[in-house]
Amino acid sequence: MGYKRLDEKDLMYIKQVIGDDERILYGENINEEYSHDELSGTQSYPDVVVKAANAEEISKIMSYAYEHTIPVTPRGAGTGLVGSSVAMEHGIMMDTSLMNQILELDEENLTVTVEPGVLLMELSAFVEDHDFFYPPDPGEKSATIGGNISTNAGGMRAVKYGVTRDYVRGLEVVLPNGKIVEFGGKIVKNSSGYAMKDLMVGSEGTLGIITKAVLKLLPLPKKAISLLIPFENLNSAIQTVPEIIKSKAIPTAIEFMQREVIEDAEEYLGKKFPDHQADAYLLLKFDGNSAEEIEADYDKVAKLCLSQGALDVLISDTEERDESIWKARGAFLEAIKGSTTYMDEVDVVVPRNKISEMVEYMHNLHSEVDIRIKSFGHAGDGNLHAYILKDDLTEEQWQERMTLAMEKIYRKANELNGQVSGEHGIGYAKKPYLNESLEEETMNIMRGIKAAFDPKNILNPHKVCQL
Amino acid sequence: MNILVCIKQVPESNKVEVDPKTGVLKRNGAASKMNPYDLYALETAMRLKEELGGEVSVITMGPPQAAQVIREAYAMGADHGTLISDRRFGGADVLATSYTLAQGIKKMGDFDLILCGKQTTDGDTAQVGPEISEWLGIPSVSNVRKITEADGQNITVEMDMPDDIEITRIAYPCLLAVDKDIFQPRLPSYVRKTEKADTEITMLSLDDMDDRDETHYGLNGSPTQVQKIFPPETNHHRELWNEESSILSEKLFQKVKELKFV
Amino acid sequence: MAKLEINQEKITDLSELIKICPFGAMEEKDGKLEINSACKMCRLCVKKGPEGAVTYVEDQKAEEIDKSLWNGIVVYVDHVDGKIHPVTYELIGKAKELAKKISHPVYALFIGSDIKEKSRELLHYGVDQVFLYDDPELSRFKIEPYTAVFEDFIQKQHPSAILVGATTVGRQLAPRVAARMKTGLTADCTILEMNENTDLSQIRPAFGGNIMAHITTPNHRPQMATVRYKVMNAPERMEEEQGEIVECSIEKDKLKTNVEVLDIVLKEKEKFIESADVLVVAGRGVKKEEDLLMLEELADLLGGQLACTRPVAENGWLDAKRQVGLSGRTVRPKLIITCGVSGAIQFVAGMDHSDQIIAINKDEKASIFKVAHYGLVGDLYEVIPQFIEKIKESQGA
Repeated sequence: MGYKRLDEKDLMYIKQVIGDDERILYGENINEEYSHDELSGTQSYPDVVVKAANAEEISKIMSYAYEHTIPVTPRGAGTGLVGSSVAMEHGIMMDTSLMNQILELDEENLTVTVEPGVLLMELSAFVEDHDFFYPPDPGEKSATIGGNISTNAGGMRAVKYGVTRDYVRGLEVVLPNGKIVEFGGKIVKNSSGYAMKDLMVGSEGTLGIITKAVLKLLPLPKKAISLLIPFENLNSAIQTVPEIIKSKAIPTAIEFMQREVIEDAEEYLGKKFPDHQADAYLLLKFDGNSAEEIEADYDKVAKLCLSQGALDVLISDTEERDESIWKARGAFLEAIKGSTTYMDEVDVVVPRNKISEMVEYMHNLHSEVDIRIKSFGHAGDGNLHAYILKDDLTEEQWQERMTLAMEKIYRKANELNGQVSGEHGIGYAKKPYLNESLEEETMNIMRGIKAAFDPKNILNPHKVCQL
Repeated sequence: MNILVCIKQVPESNKVEVDPKTGVLKRNGAASKMNPYDLYALETAMRLKEELGGEVSVITMGPPQAAQVIREAYAMGADHGTLISDRRFGGADVLATSYTLAQGIKKMGDFDLILCGKQTTDGDTAQVGPEISEWLGIPSVSNVRKITEADGQNITVEMDMPDDIEITRIAYPCLLAVDKDIFQPRLPSYVRKTEKADTEITMLSLDDMDDRDETHYGLNGSPTQVQKIFPPETNHHRELWNEESSILSEKLFQKVKELKFV
Repeated sequence: MAKLEINQEKITDLSELIKICPFGAMEEKDGKLEINSACKMCRLCVKKGPEGAVTYVEDQKAEEIDKSLWNGIVVYVDHVDGKIHPVTYELIGKAKELAKKISHPVYALFIGSDIKEKSRELLHYGVDQVFLYDDPELSRFKIEPYTAVFEDFIQKQHPSAILVGATTVGRQLAPRVAARMKTGLTADCTILEMNENTDLSQIRPAFGGNIMAHITTPNHRPQMATVRYKVMNAPERMEEEQGEIVECSIEKDKLKTNVEVLDIVLKEKEKFIESADVLVVAGRGVKKEEDLLMLEELADLLGGQLACTRPVAENGWLDAKRQVGLSGRTVRPKLIITCGVSGAIQFVAGMDHSDQIIAINKDEKASIFKVAHYGLVGDLYEVIPQFIEKIKESQGA
């Protein structure tokens, strides 16, 4: 595709639209961090970074870019893991992190309206101050809400509350041609045509740039209690998960963790985990309106776990206790990163009743491929994060074994009727695996949708479904 | 080895505010929990019991609902628990509190080792432990950051001082106040909680004590009096200095000196 | 016996009255109000409730003590092997101020072994008398003999007030002595003022600093308080000596102990940035890895540690364990000096509860200045070396 390379004239136009040189980074002034995201290993500099302040600015620049066929890459906090926010064709990077206002809390409709640059941590603190609850809870709290919507982020409360898509009511979007449109709204029900709002959620900045979002809120649960459940080994831990789900108890989270990852986190945080008796743990969280109500809820699950071979059921009912567990849980990614030289990740999702099969497969894979793999994840929703570690391997060995391990994992997930990504997205890094796992016809429809939105393919090229 | 741990029920959150106009304390919710610092004392007791054998008892003073923290201690592995509760103990300061606890401890029996947390999160005084040891006439060591050796007669500990560590051997019976992070406290166990559900809690009131003189307890036994409570001044102060480097470095030096860091 | 009496007929709205109690000590039983043992006798229900609903009744007047028999303000000299802890001088400064108001003398109580020479130093700070208990048995702090000496001193001198540094030793010794004398002790006072009637007004934080309490010991002597290091101001050291040293002794059999000090070893430097009182933070504004040496020197001079932001850790210049922020560690030091840190929310969330925040950044618009108590718009490469020089000069002098 022949894109026009950004020149002085284009820059002049951008400067005139923005009218504030501080919000434009050009050439050498572009920080290194704008050339990559958190993990994907993809690196490419944009020609210019524009820190947009409102939808009108984005609209003007988009229509100019559309007219002149200049590629545009939207970006939030840059915490992605698959390269969605890396400017593969250079051009303009549209940074929306300055659009960080919480516009309205609508207590009658139970919605909050935000700009895309609001950070997840800011949003949850704000709504919780008002006794409301925004349930999606991905580990990376400094991600922007725009980025969360773009990847349909999931997180640790998905078992009970679902994912970001379930909380997006309406979106304001700048289309690739610069037109500003609204999808959905404050309405609770909507059967009016195609689900455009849902199409935008998870589109990773390939269909339009989100400039405003109306999010659904719930009343804030008053109390949460976690259960840390030690098991003899990983198998007996994981095999209990489907039993918990079958029991119809609804924890907000069911996570699994293994001793070696816990040890990495202890080392990373310099703080001891509160229990060391077991090789594998399940971590469950329950929420409700009082300690008594929650205790009644978890009692059944505690008994079930013990009957399934749990060594004990440990109760975390205070802030300090929660912190000793969840802080370790939150540090897993960084801790694993710190334990090796380089790593790549998989984010597969399988039906919940296949979770134990998938975990065991990954657990045994290291002997087959001779590469270190560490995993943890949201056992309760079937979403697993596995990290393939480079350690002391040569670049050649690494490429070869990592690719092999990835292929095997994705093939297994496919076999179990799973999908390539649960919550991190496809971006640039995972395209081949998506292409392989979906039917040709599905991929074609996706490309057709992309073409309908963006016939000149200027918005975030090379991502998701574009080869 | 007979170990006693002193525990206390404290408000779940420290977020108390004083209404600047009326002077009334505003509490956010009435939820309570075990004083977090006591968890370290309890964990220390459990480790010593695992190593040396024996039993762990807990004692607390408070309203009837403070029995909850004894149940929690049971779920963490304590064997026996005593709750000292009497309206006549109300309004006790450090002296009266430590005296009441010491009276209760005497009723419970003989202990080789008494463990306390560093301090509580509500009173913040760190004084009740040492005062108990005086009433019982046993030695005490505070700021214990590590136990280096323990047997049937003595315990050797590291006491954390501002610049040094004092390594001290104490003969039983004695009282130790342990620091935060001496061990990572274990979580309460559901299994243990269920097993101990029927274990009783010993209740003690003023009428059970050897000394039944009411003037030694509660408000009457308290030399200190709270005259008033008020909100602290908050540090909302912000200054921006935009000057020559030489002036900046001088102002910085003066500020750091004023704050007593040099 | 003082107690609260409830007059049920004067209660207009039961639930409103129950709400007044901050300790949840009032409850309804069979339509009547009861006070349970959570009561702290704060008497807010008396003051704020309906007139006469709850009254405070004192059956017998407590015996009044003769305060004129208690004279002088004494400072306990905190030390290790004769090396006097600076909190001692700060307390002497405060004691002088308090004593002046009521024309009392200022004493220092020095307990140890082979400390006679060292005690002369105290005479440069304006105490009237230094009471010296110098005995080989007292060579190191042991709770029982030190309490016995303290008791001996109090019984002989009858001081009106006792100030003790809230150090490791002070926080054990003061309560032990208070219990022995059956008197009041107020911990960690931040403000001390003397009343005309020799009652000491003691103000201290409680509930983790969320409220302040004003406390007195109206009917007991001595009145005792502990104060933390760096709260009060030390007086200037005078050239000449002033006051006298009074040598005291105590019967040997009172120095018996069940505590044996095996060793005193120097503490290794704090390993974790979470436990440091002072942090110097290197941010993106630090250009080269070797420039960290300058910041490390500063951290050393301030007795603190070097920490960093995510980019510095990602460059591999410092260990990830030194990284402050959401994906790193949460810190709450007494002083944090950020150097070339822009103040990304990711970082700020890990340090914004620090007591004093000083930020140095070239960019006046850097968001770190929104959280800094003192913001310096300037080049760290100019400000820091000059700052280091000034500290060195002051320490050399």
